[in-house]
Amino acid sequence: MAAEMALLKPITKFNTFNTTTTSRLSNRRLPFTVRMSATTTPPTSKPTKKAQKQGIKESLLTPRFYTTDFDEMETLFNTEINKNLNEAEFEALLQEFKTDYNQTHFVRNKEFKEAADKIQGPLRQIFVEFLERSCTAEFSGFLLYKELGRRLKKTNPVVAEIFSLMSRDEARHAGFLNKGLSDFNLALDLGFLTKARKYTFFKPKFIFYATYLSEKIGYWRYITIYRHLKANPEYTCYPIFKYFENWCQDENRHGDFFSALMKAQPQFLNDWKAKLWSRFFCLSVYVTMYLNDCQRTDFYEGIGLNTKEFDMHVIIETNRTTARIFPAVLDVENPEFKRKLDRMVEINQKILAVGETDDIPLVKNFKRIPLIAALASELLAAYLMKPIESGSVDFAEFEPQLVY
Amino acid sequence: MSASTALNLGSLCSSVVNLPTHYSHKPSLLLHGTQSQQFLTLPNTVLKGFSGSRNMKSAVAAVDSSDPAEKQETERKKYYFLVANAKFMLDEEEHFQEQLFERLRLFGERDKEQDFWLVIEPKFLDKFPNITKRLKRPAVALVSTNGPWITFMKLRLDRVLQESFEADSTEEALACTPVNLEFEKPEKWTAPYPKYESGWWEPFLPPGSQTSKV
Repeated sequence: MAAEMALLKPITKFNTFNTTTTSRLSNRRLPFTVRMSATTTPPTSKPTKKAQKQGIKESLLTPRFYTTDFDEMETLFNTEINKNLNEAEFEALLQEFKTDYNQTHFVRNKEFKEAADKIQGPLRQIFVEFLERSCTAEFSGFLLYKELGRRLKKTNPVVAEIFSLMSRDEARHAGFLNKGLSDFNLALDLGFLTKARKYTFFKPKFIFYATYLSEKIGYWRYITIYRHLKANPEYTCYPIFKYFENWCQDENRHGDFFSALMKAQPQFLNDWKAKLWSRFFCLSVYVTMYLNDCQRTDFYEGIGLNTKEFDMHVIIETNRTTARIFPAVLDVENPEFKRKLDRMVEINQKILAVGETDDIPLVKNFKRIPLIAALASELLAAYLMKPIESGSVDFAEFEPQLVY
Repeated sequence: MSASTALNLGSLCSSVVNLPTHYSHKPSLLLHGTQSQQFLTLPNTVLKGFSGSRNMKSAVAAVDSSDPAEKQETERKKYYFLVANAKFMLDEEEHFQEQLFERLRLFGERDKEQDFWLVIEPKFLDKFPNITKRLKRPAVALVSTNGPWITFMKLRLDRVLQESFEADSTEEALACTPVNLEFEKPEKWTAPYPKYESGWWEPFLPPGSQTSKV
């Protein structure tokens, strides 16, 4: 599985494979992942005056920008070609997005700057990276959705408009986060990023699986943090968390749209290949989140969470949600699943430790090989665990037996 | 809030309104943002049994199906609904609760009449034997006059049955049988936060049926 590669320092032979992994998607909706620049490179110095974030430091962990086969997208949603598209569902979604629940919600106040000034020491760096990564990830969504909105206008105006409205949401989120960075005397040059970043190519089918998961996992992460902090307000060190309850409803709705997109292309949901891909993307997203978060456990502990318990809860709930659309999901509540995840964390830590030694790169690579093999083996074993049959009741074979 | 505009009968109908005597001023029900104009029927007879109060602000009829009010000429409306067992609708789907509160908040902000309700053990289910034969009871329905929104909610909830029907009035559409609901604590709770409290659904129940749930 390539997902775990996202956590390693760049190893050339795996790099090309990486461009088709879900590492971005796992990172995109994981606002608390912090760039893993600490292992071999010193952290970029943060000037105290307002400054642009230093130029683009591309690593495997940096939230990616995505592009896709737009021609294929157009074909998939062309209303003339596809007479079976469920127009009612898309019209319903369009109405829901047009409603714009959060139109007036993302409003800042002076609390932000005041709180930011109080965050000093190592937590400050962690926060800055969180804001930066989240902003980049939201912005990445903005770009992709905007482009899709533009490209699909003629072939399916309803779907195109939904993409545009989703890009409106993402722009709002990104803007809000970028303003948060300004509380720490920094800002992301989004215009520069748009032009200078490399874009990762994903076929439409993979965009659907992966983005659905990342939106839904984003919802669960945000709402879990929000509700936890509501119950434990002494950990709310920065006001942005208070916005999460409304914010995450946007994410949830975005996920619903991808659900409808997949239902409009039942070939992505109804055969053995679909089941295999479903399990693959679930595993990639869950593992990457778990490994990333365990590396940055200081952040979660800083807001009063037990990192692994937080992650398991998010995984379990995301999996349960995903079971409403994917034809197969992982048996995440099986205790063996968590045991595998924990073993992967340990192996990953050893891999990172190798990176920190003073050996020459060749020696480091040699040392990593058995560790990577061990990690791959755990991933494969997790993938091969007996899955859970699932899916929307609109398609599921087991529907006639259901009692509601 | 929209309730006050709804109370202004002048804007609702210019003719005299037929009000049964025992439905006098019940302002507390109106706070739930009901579409009180739908409880008013346009009379084709002289007003009957009206208690003579010139305060026409309380034209709210309860959902009690033994309502003796005459059904006068009404607008027949289509009601769309999703239904599943009460445990699923009210206890398991916490994101659903968030959505409903978000929508209620939005309607308040935009001064819109509430057009969606949760109905516990709705009477209209009797019309749908194909649904009731695969439904665990007690059942709860999400009802709305906004068809596309119900379609969206079906997409979100998925494990529900969707249908629609027509009714002459909201009280008829939302008539229900009171049920005492109690849910057991979940066996497994993995969240770092407490479960939402029971009874969260009160603001969404049809007007009149809230009182029995207190």
